[in-house]
Amino acid sequence: MAEKHLVVIGNGPAGREAAAFLREADPDSRITIISREHRGHYQPRLLPRLIAGQMEAEELVRPGFDFYEERGIRLRLGQEVAGLDPERKVVVLGHREIIPFSGLIIAVGGRPRIPEPLLVFKDLMLTLKTMGQALVWQERLAEVEEVLIVGGDLTSLALVKALLALGKRIFFVFCQEAFWPLRCTPELLEGAAARLRARGVEVLEGRLRSLIQKPEGRLEAVLDRTRIQVGLVGAFFGLVPDVGFLARSGLQIERGILVDQHLNTGFEGVYAAGDCAQVFHPDLRDYWVSIGVDNASRLGRIAAANLMGGAERALVKPESIFSDQGVKANTSWWMEF
Amino acid sequence: MGRVDLTIEICGMSGDGTIAAGGLLNLAVSKAGFSVLAFDSYPAEIRGFGRCVTRSRFSDQELKALTDSTDVLISLDDEQSLSRVPFLSAGAVVLFDSNPPTPVEEAKSLAARLSPGMAVLGVPFRDLATRASGSPRGRNLTALGALAVILGLPEEHFEEVITAKFRPKGEKVLEANLKSFRAGCDHARRELAGRIREPLRPPARGEGPERVMLSGNLAIAQGALDAGLRSYYGYPITPATPIMEYLAKKLPEKGGRVVQMEDEISSIGAVLGSFFAGSRAMTATSGPGFALMTELITHGVMSETPAVIIDAQRGGPATGLPTKTEQSDLTAAVFGGPGDSPRIVIAPTDVTECYRYTVKSFQLAEKYQTPVIVLSDFYLDNRVENVVMPRATEEETADGNLYPDPAEAGRYRRFRLTETGISPRAIPGTEGFLFAATGLEHNERGIPNYDPDNHQKMSSKRLAKIQSALADLEEPVETGGGGEYDLGAVGWGSTWGSVQEAVDRAREEGLKVGALKVTSLYPLHADLVRSFMDRCAEVLIPELNLEGQLATLIGHLFCGDLHRLNRVTGVPIAPAVILDKIREILGKGQR
Repeated sequence: MAEKHLVVIGNGPAGREAAAFLREADPDSRITIISREHRGHYQPRLLPRLIAGQMEAEELVRPGFDFYEERGIRLRLGQEVAGLDPERKVVVLGHREIIPFSGLIIAVGGRPRIPEPLLVFKDLMLTLKTMGQALVWQERLAEVEEVLIVGGDLTSLALVKALLALGKRIFFVFCQEAFWPLRCTPELLEGAAARLRARGVEVLEGRLRSLIQKPEGRLEAVLDRTRIQVGLVGAFFGLVPDVGFLARSGLQIERGILVDQHLNTGFEGVYAAGDCAQVFHPDLRDYWVSIGVDNASRLGRIAAANLMGGAERALVKPESIFSDQGVKANTSWWMEF
Repeated sequence: MGRVDLTIEICGMSGDGTIAAGGLLNLAVSKAGFSVLAFDSYPAEIRGFGRCVTRSRFSDQELKALTDSTDVLISLDDEQSLSRVPFLSAGAVVLFDSNPPTPVEEAKSLAARLSPGMAVLGVPFRDLATRASGSPRGRNLTALGALAVILGLPEEHFEEVITAKFRPKGEKVLEANLKSFRAGCDHARRELAGRIREPLRPPARGEGPERVMLSGNLAIAQGALDAGLRSYYGYPITPATPIMEYLAKKLPEKGGRVVQMEDEISSIGAVLGSFFAGSRAMTATSGPGFALMTELITHGVMSETPAVIIDAQRGGPATGLPTKTEQSDLTAAVFGGPGDSPRIVIAPTDVTECYRYTVKSFQLAEKYQTPVIVLSDFYLDNRVENVVMPRATEEETADGNLYPDPAEAGRYRRFRLTETGISPRAIPGTEGFLFAATGLEHNERGIPNYDPDNHQKMSSKRLAKIQSALADLEEPVETGGGGEYDLGAVGWGSTWGSVQEAVDRAREEGLKVGALKVTSLYPLHADLVRSFMDRCAEVLIPELNLEGQLATLIGHLFCGDLHRLNRVTGVPIAPAVILDKIREILGKGQR
C-alpha cells in the first residue's frame, strides 16, 4: 500500500495551521509543506515594524523550525509549485520534481495587487507582502527622504507608522479600491485621511496618473492636479489570490480557487484555504473571500479537518467586522466593481 | 565583518566537469587573497560513472585541515549529491539545476532532502549554458558564475583563471566557457538578488611573495626536481601517478629521464642501481606496489645503498580502495621486509612539507646510505593548498654522500665499522675503491660472511647508522604552550592538520590540551615523544588506520593507556570528530 502523503502548499497562517491540524489528526502520515518563501512562517502585518527597525528579521519568523520538526512536518522552503494534476494526485515543482500526494491543501495566499491602469508602472513601485520585499524597503529607505503611498490598504497604514518613526516625509493618495475586493465608502476614506493628516502625512487629492523616472533615481508622480517628486512609491491595493500556477490544473478559478463550503475544490482530497480561496456560501449562492490572519487560520483548520474525513462548513456571518489601525472595514464580501 | 571560513563542495557525476570546476574555484579564490585548502574525491574508474566531489575550504586565516561540514553545495548531479546532504551545515546554501532534462521523482530529489534553514537556490545551469554557448557542457562554469555572485567573489579572478585554463584549447572553447560563466553571473544578479551576500573580504596580507596552488603530489615532484633528481623509475598507480606524469614533462628538460618500468620491483631495482652508481633517483608508488618493493628495499638496507621511495598510501589491504585515503602502510614502511632492516621513514603533514621532505630525503639517503621512505597519502597527495612556493637552498640539495679518504685507496673497506655506523661510500668505478655489494650478509669489505659475530656486528652497525640519523631528522613539534596537559594529542601525516585545529579549538574552549606533530617515524625521537606524553594525563592518537599503527609504534613510551581514534572510512578525519573525542575523554559536553 502506498504511503499516505499529505501536502500543503503555502506556509502562511492557513497552511501552517492546516499542517499542524493534519498532524494532530493523523500521527502517522507523511506531511510536507511546500513554500516558495525562503524564510519560515511570519506575519506580514509585522513587516512595517521590520522596516522601521523595531524588529529584526529573525524575530518575525515564528514559530521556528522546531515547530515543524517536533511535529514531523517536512518544511520545504524556497521551492515553488509550478503545476498540479489533481486527477493523478501529483504536484510538480518548478525544478521538475514530481511529488505524489494522497491529500492536498492549497493555501498560497495572495500577492500584492496593482490595478490595471497602474500596471505599466509596476517596476517603479514597491509593494509589501513578503519579508524579501520588506528588506528592499529597508534598503531603499536608507537613501530617500520622501515616500508616496498610493492606494491605502491596512498594510499601507501600518507602513505609514513605520515611515513616520523613521522621520520620512510621506505623501498619500487614497483610492476607493484600496481595500479590494472591498470598496471603501467616501466617509471611511475621509476619516482615515483626517487621521493621517493629524500625524503629519500629506494626503493628496486625485488619482495617480503617471510615474516618470527622473535622473538619480527619483520619481515624478503625476496626479490630477499636481506633480511631486519622491524617492520611493509604494502601491497598496490589497491582495489578489496567487493562483496562476493552477491555470492548467483543471481546478475552477475565478480570481481565487472556487471551493464549496467544505473548502473542497471538486477533486477528491484537494482543498483550498485562506486568501487564495473563493468559498461558496449556500445562503447567498455566491462566493466570498477572507481577509486577515484569523480567517486564514480558521479556514486552514477547516480544510484539514475535512481532508481527514470531516464535514465542517466554512461559515461566516454576512457582515463580519474587521478592524486595524483604528480604521474599520465593514464587510468581507466579494464584490465586483 | 566576522571571520571568513567557508567550505564549498561541488558534486557531480564523472564527466560533469566537477573536478575542473573545483580547480577553477580554488584558483580564483586564491587569487582573491584567501587561504585555500581543497581535496577532491573521485571514483577509481576512469570515466562514465561514479561520484566526483571537490571540497574547498577557504578562509582569511591560515588553514590546517578540511572540515566535515559544508557551507555551500553546488550540485551538478542531484542524485549523486544526495549523499552529501548529511554534511551540509544548518544554514547551507545549495545551488542546483532547476531545469534538469528529465522530471525528478521526489525520492531522488536533492531539494526534497534539504532542511528549511538552508538556502535552496535553483539555477537552470544547463539551459543558461546552452543559451550562452550552444552547449550544456559549460554548466559547471555557469554554476561557478552564480556562486561568484552569491558569495560576492570577484568575477574577474574567475575570468582570469578560466582564460588561463581554456585559452590553450583555442579561442572558441575559451569563449564558450566564458559565456557560460557570465550567464551564471547574470542570472544570479537578475533572479537571486535577494540571496546575494555581502562581498567576502580577503585578508590584508600586504605585499608578500605570490602564492601558488600546489598539491602534495606536485610538491613532491617539484621537490625531487629541485633536489637534483636524475632518474625516475616507476609504474603507474593511484594516487602516485601524478608525480610520474609531472616528472615526465619536467625531468627531461633538466637532462634527466623518466622510465616507466614493467613493475614496482624493477622500479625499486633501478632506483637502487642509479644511487649505487652515484646518481639521484626516485620511485613513487602506493600500498600494493610498495608491498612488491619490500624485498629490494631490504636489499638496499643490507647493501647500504641509498634510495628514495614515495609511498602514497591509499585504502588497503591489497588493491583496496584506490581513490580513498588511509594511513595504514606505516607498519609496513617501518618494519616491512625480511630480517632486521632499519630504514628511514618520514611523513610530511602538509603540502609544503611534501616538498621539503622530498628534498631532504635525497641527502638522508646518501648520507645514511639507506632507503628513505616518504609516507604521504591520498588526501595529502591530492589536496591543494595555496602556499608560498617553497624553494630548496643549495645547502639542502648538496651532495649528501660521505666519500672515503683517497688515502684509503687499495685498502678500502666499504662497510667499515664506525662509531656512527656510517661507512664512507665510494662510487663504483673509483680507482682503488673496489668493493663487493650484496644482499648476503657480508664483512667490512663486502664479502659474504655468515659468521654469527659478524652478523651481530653488521646488524648493529646498520641499526646504529639509522639511529644516528636522528641528528638530521626533524624533531617533534609541540603546540599548546608547554607544561602539563590534561590531554595531549599526537598526530602524523595528513591527520596532523585536523589534530592541530581540534586542539586549537579545544584550547579556545578552555581545555588544557596540547598537540605533538611527529614527522620522523623511524628512527623516532623517542625521548622527545616520551617527554611530551609524560606531561599529559591522557594521550589521544587519531589515525586513518584500524589498529592504530602510530599508537602501536609509540605506545610503549607512555605509562598509561593511550586513547585511539581510528577511522578507515576513506576520508580524512575532520577536526570536529577529534574535538568531540577530546571532550569525551575529558568529560566535557559539546559546546
